[in-house]
Amino acid sequence: MSGFAIILKDAPRQRVDLAPLTERICTAKKAAEIEKLPVFVGNRKCVLGDLFVVYGKPGERLVLDNICDKIDGIGSRWSEGMLEVYGDAGDRLGHGMTGGDIIVHGNVGNFAASGMRDGEILIEGNAGDFLGAPIPGERIGMNGGVVRVEGDAGARTGDRLRRGLILIEGDVGELCGSRMIAGSIAVMGDMGPRLGYAMRRGALFMMRPPTRFPETFNDSGTHTLPFHHLFLAHLKRQGGAFSVLNPSDNRLRKYVGDISVQGSGALLFHDS
Amino acid sequence: MLIKLTGGKVFDPAHKINGRKRDIFIRDGRIVKRPPGGEKPDQVYDVTGKVVMAGAMDLHSHIAGGKVNIARMLLPEEHRQYQAKRSRLKRSGSGEPTMTSFSTGYRYAEMGYTAAFEPALVPVNARQAHLEMSDVPIIDKGAYVMLGNDDFFLRMLSRKADQKAITDYVAWMMGATQALGVKVVNPGGISAFKFNDRMLDLDETDSHYGLTPRKVLKSLTRALTDLGVPHPLHVHGCNLGVPGNVETTLKTMAGAGGLPMHLTHIQFHTYGTEGDRGFSSGAARIAEAINKQKNITVDVGQIMFGQTVTASGDTMTQHSNVDLASPHKWVCMDIDCQAGCGVVPFRYRDRNFVNALQWAIGLEIFLLVNDPWRIFLTTDHPNGAPFTSYPHLIRLLMDRSFRNSMLDTVNKHAGDVSTLRSIKREYSLYDIAIMTRAAPARILGLKNRGHLGAGAAADITVYTPHANKERMFEKPDYVFKDGNLVARNGKVVNVTWGATHVVRPEYHSGIEKSLKSYFSDFQGMQMGNFVIRESDFPDDGRFRVETHKCGKGRRA
Repeated sequence: MSGFAIILKDAPRQRVDLAPLTERICTAKKAAEIEKLPVFVGNRKCVLGDLFVVYGKPGERLVLDNICDKIDGIGSRWSEGMLEVYGDAGDRLGHGMTGGDIIVHGNVGNFAASGMRDGEILIEGNAGDFLGAPIPGERIGMNGGVVRVEGDAGARTGDRLRRGLILIEGDVGELCGSRMIAGSIAVMGDMGPRLGYAMRRGALFMMRPPTRFPETFNDSGTHTLPFHHLFLAHLKRQGGAFSVLNPSDNRLRKYVGDISVQGSGALLFHDS
Repeated sequence: MLIKLTGGKVFDPAHKINGRKRDIFIRDGRIVKRPPGGEKPDQVYDVTGKVVMAGAMDLHSHIAGGKVNIARMLLPEEHRQYQAKRSRLKRSGSGEPTMTSFSTGYRYAEMGYTAAFEPALVPVNARQAHLEMSDVPIIDKGAYVMLGNDDFFLRMLSRKADQKAITDYVAWMMGATQALGVKVVNPGGISAFKFNDRMLDLDETDSHYGLTPRKVLKSLTRALTDLGVPHPLHVHGCNLGVPGNVETTLKTMAGAGGLPMHLTHIQFHTYGTEGDRGFSSGAARIAEAINKQKNITVDVGQIMFGQTVTASGDTMTQHSNVDLASPHKWVCMDIDCQAGCGVVPFRYRDRNFVNALQWAIGLEIFLLVNDPWRIFLTTDHPNGAPFTSYPHLIRLLMDRSFRNSMLDTVNKHAGDVSTLRSIKREYSLYDIAIMTRAAPARILGLKNRGHLGAGAAADITVYTPHANKERMFEKPDYVFKDGNLVARNGKVVNVTWGATHVVRPEYHSGIEKSLKSYFSDFQGMQMGNFVIRESDFPDDGRFRVETHKCGKGRRA
């Protein structure tokens, strides 16, 4: 599999916006051309080659190595092929991604998977706040695809989620699934406070009940949900911690809300 | 220093000069007569064969104030999309329909505009608006204070206060907010909206004060006439955008009773209800009325296809349009019981019947009104389109075959029902010079602007004639502001600061007594803090007030 390896020389003092390095450029340009790509470090304009060393030749695989949490916009509008990141990524990872895969062997900053429409993102470390949430001015957050976080996720995970699946194998911060329009979030670990705030539709699947239920959700009893069987079968194919769940274990307690808005959202968990 | 522009074809309608070859002399920022004794100019610009006009003026453009900032905040994506980099001369900026203040000044100057006027100065936001306009470089500014929905005025009117007191209030408000004119937006309607009225026609009574828009208009028109304020009442009428509002508009014109009145963005008020879709053009009737009634002036508020944002004080009609918002987000709010604000992003689509017909209606009005002295070129920036589309609009007016070819590309049904195709008129350069220079200066009472006679401020734009008028008007060769060369070939070369034009009508100070107690009882600040004084501004030349004389007025 051919492709580029782009290695950060030294951690920059200011933030770097790597959004111009799209998948289209990586398949079409030569190494020397990529080094000339204009990028901003803080408010200073420079070329990519000032900060990174570029090896390899055009192809659908891109490896970013020695990356630090000041590098924003990695994998913006990524549409095809594999992007692998070694180290911690900054904010807006996979912004507006439309396909392909991104794997981060480390943590990511805020607003990862924002505006994502398709494809898969795997984060082996923790995710910051606003995972899958819209950046200011945009109306919908994640709109398709799958994000799996092996560590914890911060506050406002899945804010204004419209479609797609967010899997958190660790804990999530406060206001998980806030203003959710639709889509699904599944969490293995602990839920932060005020989950499902202003949630309109969609489902929030937890392994155990939260310590406190929001007042704007109503208990609607225990159900056997055929849908959940399919959902768990789907998770099995995704790999990771969720794949050990038994699909026939589909009897769930359901809380419905947020009744302060449309109120068709569901909090689902095993009633034990 | 003496500057000479030699050999240009001058279009100066204020002096009836239509394309005559003439030299222009500039000394100390003013245009002067040919100096006697053959004094040698320090600088000579050879503009042989080029078109010389005064700097253009936009008399209705929302460039500053509360709602513009709300629009900016509502559309951060727009500011990510359009970004202007900082250069040695210019500051950075962003946005197009909601352009930042510095970019606004540069872009206007680059198009040969040397003045733009903010038409909706909400009194309580006036200080902020003036500070913001102090950040609009190069061009001259001014603002019309928005009255007619403010609680103080409506209270006075509803308890049948003496017109003299109302007139004093209007004069006081103009002085306190450093205004050049007075605008009324949906007379009484913004206020009625707060008391749950969702429509208010010209002769309908609002539920709280028991007033009709007609009474509000009458009182304000009377006040301005009595004060001798040069710019007539700037009227954004009732029922904006409602099919069938052409009747209301005609009644509003007739209701002026022969007194001067300026109807703004008239395109939005020229809709009939004919046809199988219940939406039709009233342009012919409106134009006929304008042609007949010499006391009426209008600006068009042309729409252009594409993304923009509508930002208006008219909470009532903006609120009725929120479902059409694109992207779907909006803000409607009251502002200190003085006025309202509605910001609704909008995308005009050429394939859409209504939008295409709106586009055609605007052009029909332009072409059917005979007297270019009484109709002004605006897009109601940003409501119809950003002001950056003016060169394109000028081409539509000056080039019939281009206009018809554009008409072929829009919604076919709209093209079929519009009379636009049959209108043969093409604007001449002289007409354009009237409607964008001489006429706005005259109607605003700016005696030293908009013309090229001796004594005028040396705001001059030089174009290279081109068959494609859009290309001609988008990048003038030279733009002079107060005698300084500020733009060359459509690029800013020098950043100066324009004046803020105001008028200061006189009033009896008795009004301050009742205002003082009103402010302390009902408003968020005391009267003493509300009044804007020149000394409140930093002394850096960015807020330079140029006061214009009021006429005699009927009161005097």
